[in-house]
Amino acid sequence: MAISPELPDNTLTMAEKHAIPIDILSDAMSEVMKKYRLWFAVPGEVKELYLQKFGLNLEKYNGAGRWELPVPATYVLDRGGIVRAGEADPDYTVRMEPAEIVAAIRKIAEKRSM
Amino acid sequence: MGMSLKETLAEFDASRKRPPEVVAIIRRGIDYARESGAAGLRIGERAPDFALPNQRGEMVRLSDRLSRGPVVLNFYRGVW
Repeated sequence: MAISPELPDNTLTMAEKHAIPIDILSDAMSEVMKKYRLWFAVPGEVKELYLQKFGLNLEKYNGAGRWELPVPATYVLDRGGIVRAGEADPDYTVRMEPAEIVAAIRKIAEKRSM
Repeated sequence: MGMSLKETLAEFDASRKRPPEVVAIIRRGIDYARESGAAGLRIGERAPDFALPNQRGEMVRLSDRLSRGPVVLNFYRGVW
């Protein structure tokens, strides 16, 4: 499942835009991002850059006053909810390799069948 | 086998012609997030339970999903 700070209208857009069949969850109060220690407030000069150069107003997506984001992250959880693999990098161009995600799920499945 | 995600992202990033001053602001923003201590969960840690609405307005609870099998959780910034 996927989680973002966006309001439900935009998670629906995300699901439809990319034809994503999984749950896309709306963390509109930022509580989960904070619990997972991924939350940060967008610094002023980045906010200005987004507004002035990219025409991107986060409040339109996240709601009023919410210039806040998660560090992009991926976690593979076993049935007990324990993190078995994962990656979180503030550099949003660095993402967990899909092949590593699949390998981590396989490893969990193998353990169960032993 | 196609390109890895890392290769695909690197190629995309290189194709973007961004002025150095824009790149500098983005880099400082990344450093800021790093220094803010938002380091996420550690391997071996238990993921906190939660319940959030999905794109159809249905509440989804992590622990319910875990009772059916392993879960991949992805935090992303937005549809933009």
